[in-house]
Amino acid sequence: MPTRNTLTKDAPPERSRKVAALRRNILSNSTSRQKYIQGVKLLKQEFLGPTTADFGIAGTVRRISTYDLFVVWHHLAMFTFTPPSQGDRNAAHRGPVFLPWHRFMLILFELQLQRVLNDDNFGLPYWDWAADGERSPDQQMTSPVWGTQCMGGQGNPVTTGPFAFNLADPARWRVRVDADVNGQLRATDRGLRRAFAQRRSDQSSAPVLPRRTEVTSAANLSTYDAWPWSTASSGFRNRLEGWQPVHPYSGLHNRVHVWVGGDMLPSSSPNDPVFYLNHCNVDRIWAAWLASRGTTYVPSQSASSTLRGHRIDDAMNALLSDPVTPRQMLDVDDFYSYDTLA
Amino acid sequence: MKRDEFARDATPDSLAEHVARNAPAMQQTGHAHGGDMESVRETTYRGHHIVIRTSYHIEVDGVPVEGHLGVTNDGRVHYHVVPNLSFASAVDLVKQLIDAFPDDFRQEGHAHEEHSHEGRSPGEES
Repeated sequence: MPTRNTLTKDAPPERSRKVAALRRNILSNSTSRQKYIQGVKLLKQEFLGPTTADFGIAGTVRRISTYDLFVVWHHLAMFTFTPPSQGDRNAAHRGPVFLPWHRFMLILFELQLQRVLNDDNFGLPYWDWAADGERSPDQQMTSPVWGTQCMGGQGNPVTTGPFAFNLADPARWRVRVDADVNGQLRATDRGLRRAFAQRRSDQSSAPVLPRRTEVTSAANLSTYDAWPWSTASSGFRNRLEGWQPVHPYSGLHNRVHVWVGGDMLPSSSPNDPVFYLNHCNVDRIWAAWLASRGTTYVPSQSASSTLRGHRIDDAMNALLSDPVTPRQMLDVDDFYSYDTLA
Repeated sequence: MKRDEFARDATPDSLAEHVARNAPAMQQTGHAHGGDMESVRETTYRGHHIVIRTSYHIEVDGVPVEGHLGVTNDGRVHYHVVPNLSFASAVDLVKQLIDAFPDDFRQEGHAHEEHSHEGRSPGEES
């Protein structure tokens, strides 16, 4: 497949844009917060043509919104094993491509938000979850991020905030595509689910959010990734993704998914708009690492073909655009910057 | 990479075109597992190539659970539909599935939805 820099297309219509978008902390900038909520709701109500039939989803054919196309893409990338002969690494997770693939996804999502908001300078907000991780466990569950003016609270369904469910109101936030227990995409029509800080008897618990010391510990790792290029690897990527260390709970990014719970658990986790706040913060931590370590990435293109999809010049899994490479995601200053990398 | 170059892919027409172009191939590669689950672990030790195949057949209330389950070389079990977790035990994993998929495991019994591998049937657009 051609990568992005091989394409020739008509020039896009000119829109006023003077600087790269600025991505801000969602708790410190009300404009960013309000626009994000407005934007995701607009994408949820926008139907550009794709249907459930395009993805082989069983049942009556339904239109799929622009927002839900990103849900589908995340799920399909996760079920694309790289290589197909093994069941650990996939096209977006559990390997080196985890960070550049999600940067690719977030950039495309941000561009869609800019379009529907008619604001080319809009930047995705992030949730600095490690700041909340410094609070007590009880306070973590009542953080301002879960307030009615921000993401709303927990529940099955969520009943507070901008994504609260109302069965009688079709304009309210609804989950329309999710994954079943066997990994099949299915059409549904229900409210958003969250279940904070579930405690279990095994290591799948996530009773507390990650703390700043855990982020610092990851940032201090000098190697981006290493053999066996999987969940067993040492290095920054695997630590930030959350597979190492395994004790006592899963790590950074993974633990945030599990702590929020509900729709943040399955492969259809972009159903919860908090998904993007989490990944924007993960991307911010990677941006800080790149700023301090230089724009490095491994594996190189000379690595084994069994790592196809993860090497620096490989085409990454794409559904909604032509593919890009990890190398193209190392310098994104023309797209956005963060208010702070600290 | 330049933003204006990439922004061409953010237009409504372009997005729909890419879905039409890419979805068929992604359906083929990105499909759920089905049937018994086999996990293959491979490594090399002192010049010897080690392959360990582990098969799982999981049932809940007599109904098979057929997603993709894997075992990493450090012995932890993972299940692709709950991608952010790994478990020391497959039993713990299945308990988590019951909690995470309330639509598939309703309350006091198993209300597994009919699960078709036969593709879609024609329907009208809502």
